Amino acid sequence: MRLKSRNRTVTALLLIAPFVICYLVVFAYPVYKMFAMSFTNAPLIGEGEWIGLDNYIRMFEHKLFYTSVYNTLYFVLLTVVPNTLIGLGIAMMVVRLKGWIQAGILVLFFMPYILPVTVVTQIWQWVLDQQFGVAQPLIEAIIGRRISVFRDPVWAMPMVALVTIWWTNGFNVLLFISALRNIPDDYYEAASLDGASRLQQFRRITWPLLWPVTALVLTLQLILQLKIFDQIYLMTQGGPFNSTYVLLQLVYREAFGRNQGGYASAVAVALFVIIVAVSVLQYQLLKARGK
Amino acid sequence: MSGVTLSNIKKAFGPVEVIHDVNISIEQGEFVVFVGPSGCGKSTLLRMIAGLEETTSGVIDIEGQDVTHQEAARRGVSMVFQSYALYPHLTVFDNMAFSLQIARRPKDEIRAKVEEAARILQLDQHLDRKPSQLSGGQRQRVAIGRAIVRQPKVFLFDEPLSNLDAELRVQMRMEISRLHNQIGATMIYVTHDQVEAMTLADKIVVLKSGVVQQIGSPLDLYDNPDNQFVAGFIGSPKMNFLTGTVAKSNSGASDTVNIRLDEPPNSIVSLTLSGPVPKVGTAVTLGIRPENVETGDVTDADGHAAELTLKTEFTEELGGVSYVHSLTESGARVTIERRSDRNHIAQDHISALLPTRHLFLFDADGARLR
Repeated sequence: MRLKSRNRTVTALLLIAPFVICYLVVFAYPVYKMFAMSFTNAPLIGEGEWIGLDNYIRMFEHKLFYTSVYNTLYFVLLTVVPNTLIGLGIAMMVVRLKGWIQAGILVLFFMPYILPVTVVTQIWQWVLDQQFGVAQPLIEAIIGRRISVFRDPVWAMPMVALVTIWWTNGFNVLLFISALRNIPDDYYEAASLDGASRLQQFRRITWPLLWPVTALVLTLQLILQLKIFDQIYLMTQGGPFNSTYVLLQLVYREAFGRNQGGYASAVAVALFVIIVAVSVLQYQLLKARGK
Repeated sequence: MSGVTLSNIKKAFGPVEVIHDVNISIEQGEFVVFVGPSGCGKSTLLRMIAGLEETTSGVIDIEGQDVTHQEAARRGVSMVFQSYALYPHLTVFDNMAFSLQIARRPKDEIRAKVEEAARILQLDQHLDRKPSQLSGGQRQRVAIGRAIVRQPKVFLFDEPLSNLDAELRVQMRMEISRLHNQIGATMIYVTHDQVEAMTLADKIVVLKSGVVQQIGSPLDLYDNPDNQFVAGFIGSPKMNFLTGTVAKSNSGASDTVNIRLDEPPNSIVSLTLSGPVPKVGTAVTLGIRPENVETGDVTDADGHAAELTLKTEFTEELGGVSYVHSLTESGARVTIERRSDRNHIAQDHISALLPTRHLFLFDADGARLR
């Protein structure tokens, strides 16, 4: 009996070993290393000396750190909720279509998502180009003049947010469509027999039944957008006047630009803490709402 | 007073017509069952009465009011769906109160009405639960409760029992019947199960391919079917059908026909008809219900019965009753019902008598010849 159960334990350990080893080598160890490095003055490559909380003290005295935190949160505000609501709106329209028309429209909305970020930013730099961009006549019609949007501190961040929404919205549409398809027609038929208007049907049936998916989309978006880097690196490099400088860019600058691995790790830890805190907070809020 | 009247109702999906010129008149307080095989249009017809499907042409009238083009909510009908369509995120109370909340009725009134319905349906203990915490039968009752609180003129049931197991189905059938007696509203019930139709209905409407085959009380349809389809559909086990040709026909004081069955040796049967008699040589079908086939030590005493030799295939022994499934010499299936007779039929071949007074005659198109 004893022998048998030990055999089973060995088998179990053997079976999970590949995963455990991968996890330890490529995730747990680097994470540990990041925390450890944040207390040293290590360069990008190689070991450093223990300097205690110096990196953190420096970080809290660094003006660009606060700018980056502010810009990151501003970007999250501009993308997460609008992206979710736009996704829901488009999904509700697409789901009413039938057959190949629905599939075709869905492909059109999903297409940007499969593009690499470099292509996306290239497209939008053309679209928004001050001299030749096709969007400039529209801006001119509304504002009265052409604007070089990525060189204007007021316009830069909202435009990066717009590009991000355009790029990632298809995925949210897809999630919402599958959720909407899961709501049986019977519910709407029963509700319309009971005299519920379209708005009442949305408020009392669609919205509550979609809530778990909405919460998922919001949480995924939040985590994704807090990690904003690529679009900014490619379109504005943090400018103009640091108006689009974000936390990951600060990490990048300190680590790869200034060879300060220890300090970069400290900023990365700060981002990690922010993501955990905001996600937990949001999860709790969403759970409370769902009840 | 008329409850629901359907006049010349037609429904087409594009070029395909699925409901053909249906006329049905339902009295107020009547329990009417639409029955037919799947795809016969019975659910479509119900959904047209509910206002969930457009009516292509014709008039739907509910308690004297033309509602053909009125929206579903204003027709004064409630519907119980096959899937129950209970909102999973709402409690039993809120599910039942839904229509009243939409109509912005006062809170006290909503509570009183929901509690009254819950009492009738024995759901008082479950008002705070979510549908997922209920059994199939309880969910079914919530769905009915949701219909009751609206106090509609007409209740519509779309195969409400088909998701329940056999025992619960029998029980819910009785509860629906009791509910009908209790509240006395007009009820229209759709099912493909002829037993449900027979047990529940005041009046049965048999549909096939969007055409009404016959309308009548359950026993009317059983005893006096208008055509071969109704004869075969109503009754379980099915009526036996044997083909034959008219051998001799006499028009005169008594219109008799002699029919030669497509069975050896000399199975000729003579029937008296009140209507016009078919010509000699016409192909016809004879029908007889399983309980009317006589077996055992039988002899054709009065000469008015056809005699057949049957090859038994297998027997269903159900205790009080048994069904013998057999084949004629030409290969037609004949089912025989035997009651309070436990003598097992041992032999392969038995002889059976088909008494003339129990025979139904149909022409080649399935229409009844009386």
